[in-house]
Amino acid sequence: MPRKAESNLTNCVRDLRGSVDGMTQQVLADAVGVTRQTIVAMETGTYTPSLALAIRIARVFDRGVEDVFKLDE
Amino acid sequence: MKAQEKVAWTELVVSVVAVVVVVALYPWLGGAAAGGFCLLGLLGITPLFMRNRGNEIVADERDQQIELRSSWFGFGTGWVLMMVSLAAVTIWHSNQQFDVSPALLNVMIWIQFAFCYAVKGATSLMQYRGSQRAT
Repeated sequence: MPRKAESNLTNCVRDLRGSVDGMTQQVLADAVGVTRQTIVAMETGTYTPSLALAIRIARVFDRGVEDVFKLDE
Repeated sequence: MKAQEKVAWTELVVSVVAVVVVVALYPWLGGAAAGGFCLLGLLGITPLFMRNRGNEIVADERDQQIELRSSWFGFGTGWVLMMVSLAAVTIWHSNQQFDVSPALLNVMIWIQFAFCYAVKGATSLMQYRGSQRAT
């Protein structure tokens, strides 16, 4: 069964991108090996990334996974 | 437009066009109109959209998720349609003195095939909707 979207999982990828010069969605997408649309979907909360992708994104910004993704419970 | 979206559009358009062509030709050709389902063979071109082009990422983990979810909906719909139509034919046939026409069974199977891919394509497109904005 496909993975369901986690409605209570938020992320600050858009803010982190804004803090880095020239970090467009396409640049981030290329850096982590996905398409730009996947970054868009993730930033808007319509897609929950896999653990591997979450780790790769956190590494791009030199942060921990939980600094980028937050699970509200 | 992503490669996977092109595949979804192809599945939806080809399936709908095939059913429309068969329905449109039926008054003139009768059962022979089912030959219009040969248009479903055009679904075979979809792998061309998924070919690699340099370093461009053709499909990623989200595309795989969408493909998987769409397949569940598409093949699930086809399966339910097949069960319902076979049950309906069996019930209907039990009160008749003649055999079920092979042409009817043929059309039933083709329609289920078309519905399966139409639903699969439509479900994919709905999931891709709203993820195109660049910032």
